[in-house]
Amino acid sequence: MERFDRLARAIAHAGAIVGGSLLLASALVICVDVCLRYFFALSVGGSDELSGYALGIAGAWGFSYALLSRSHIRIDTVYSHCPAALRAVLDLVGLASFMVFMGYVACRGWGVLSQSIASNAHSISALETPLVVPQAAWVAGLCYFLLVALLLMLRSLAALVAGDRAALFKLIGSKAAMEEAQDELVGAKEAHEEERRAP
Amino acid sequence: MTMTLVAVALLLLLLGSSIPVAAGMALTGLILQHLYSPLPLSVMMGELAWSTMTSPILAAVPFYILFGEILLRSGIAERMYAAMMQWLSWLPGGLMHANIGACGLFGSVSGSSVATAVTVGVVALDEMKKYRYHEPLYLGTLAAGGTLGILIPPSINMIVYGVMTETSVPQLYLAGFLPGAILTVLFSLTVLAICWWRPAYGGTRIKTDWPSRIRCLPDLLPPLGLLMIVVGAIFLGIATATESAAVGIVGALAIVAWRRRLNWRMLKESFEGTVRTTAMVLAILVGALFLNVVITTIGLTQQIGKLILAWQLTPTQVLLAVVLIYLVLGTFMEEMSMMVGTIPITFPIMKQAGFDPVWYGILIVLLVQTAMITPPFGINLFVIHGIRGRGQVHDVMNGSLPFVATLVLMIALICIWPGIVLWAPQTFR
Repeated sequence: MERFDRLARAIAHAGAIVGGSLLLASALVICVDVCLRYFFALSVGGSDELSGYALGIAGAWGFSYALLSRSHIRIDTVYSHCPAALRAVLDLVGLASFMVFMGYVACRGWGVLSQSIASNAHSISALETPLVVPQAAWVAGLCYFLLVALLLMLRSLAALVAGDRAALFKLIGSKAAMEEAQDELVGAKEAHEEERRAP
Repeated sequence: MTMTLVAVALLLLLLGSSIPVAAGMALTGLILQHLYSPLPLSVMMGELAWSTMTSPILAAVPFYILFGEILLRSGIAERMYAAMMQWLSWLPGGLMHANIGACGLFGSVSGSSVATAVTVGVVALDEMKKYRYHEPLYLGTLAAGGTLGILIPPSINMIVYGVMTETSVPQLYLAGFLPGAILTVLFSLTVLAICWWRPAYGGTRIKTDWPSRIRCLPDLLPPLGLLMIVVGAIFLGIATATESAAVGIVGALAIVAWRRRLNWRMLKESFEGTVRTTAMVLAILVGALFLNVVITTIGLTQQIGKLILAWQLTPTQVLLAVVLIYLVLGTFMEEMSMMVGTIPITFPIMKQAGFDPVWYGILIVLLVQTAMITPPFGINLFVIHGIRGRGQVHDVMNGSLPFVATLVLMIALICIWPGIVLWAPQTFR
């Protein structure tokens, strides 16, 4: 279980880094496009389409990354006043409903992909991108989310059965505003120290 | 009538029980569809998710976040704040104006108000004790300044509003500029007024001279110039929001490289932060847009419109009701989910009552800003308290109250004179 967990986190992290790199790469392409247009009145075109694909792929793979770092927003006004046993139940219900939602998206997303495969669809633009390529990466990200969610669900249930609520909250509990601020703070303080040491 | 009640009750129940906001909205949509729609609307979920998640307009969101992350994580923002400190020290209340200004500048590009407040706050709080500022007020300027970012373009909240309501994002940006400038000045005036009333609150004066001001210009001018290019290109119609954000990223990387601070770790951390925030926003958007489709298809929008007609509400009454609802919701809801979760219902109401979509977008942003610093639950209050790491959260709340009043004043101003918002988009169309 522990090994699965580490592997799942490593893959989600890699997905986030690749997604971020795709976004940066598409920003570079757009920047070149804008400069060519502004300074030389040349138009390459299609760069905005690429940025859309980068967003889709980074977003789909980011879903699982955000899930693992408990970054998906929940409204915890009532939650924070509940006894621990009820909070554990709410956490499990919350995860399950997220799985239902993403289950629909992934399932219908698969339909979009298979239609593109069947009709060999290309985008209606100068690029004529074969849609199968970005859509496959997108659907893969959605499916990976479901896999990660299932793993988290199993681990949380195991923790619940073992009576280890603390472990369950660490896996899928709602992150309070304070906790989020603390996480950001660690990074910011490091950067600040580094800045001070710099000449 | 029943349909409206069922919809609102479902949404409150699901979101209130701490189900992730994205899933809560989608499930509300699925249940409403099951109850009232003859068509299986969930079939559309795939196409809807694909077209939303690959929209080039929305690509501006991760671009601005990445731009902000690079500015924050590379130390550019921190040095810029230090430079602003030198230049604004002569004002009564000195550093507090720099707090407002710096939060406004970085907040406008950073995706997360939390990240902005943290970055500025870490540096700013070091100075607070040194110059003996009145702590609650000083903390209040940080919390309030952090909210400016979503009003001053480029703003991610405006992009989300624009996509959800099919309102032009450049028009929203044009509209946000003047209220953003006025509000910044009003925040500064709030500080000035308080320091005039209680001079001790303003702390001791920072000693500075012209040579040291000139020396810090290299920290101030390049990022300031870059921000001007990013915003200016949109106004002059040279680039779309997405394109100008891309230029911003490349420009920020150039500045970082020039300062020899470009490294893989900084980039990696920026990617992580960007993808995490983007995914969170996208999940909520897909859920909300699905709910939007269901609400429109089952005729809920028309029903609400009929209700307003039946109750014979005047536009002013509708406006007051909506403002009140948001002020109440804002005391306990997180800002992005409050905005996205309510737009499907309030936007058609306001449109039917005859309000301009661009104007309403700015109003919503102001209401969201207010929510961010209204006790007992305002995200910025907790963030600033967290950075301070001691004392009572009440200090931050008390210090923010004058700025809540200023925000309410600003909301009243744009309601009385809608021209403050609409002048720019109508002039530079």
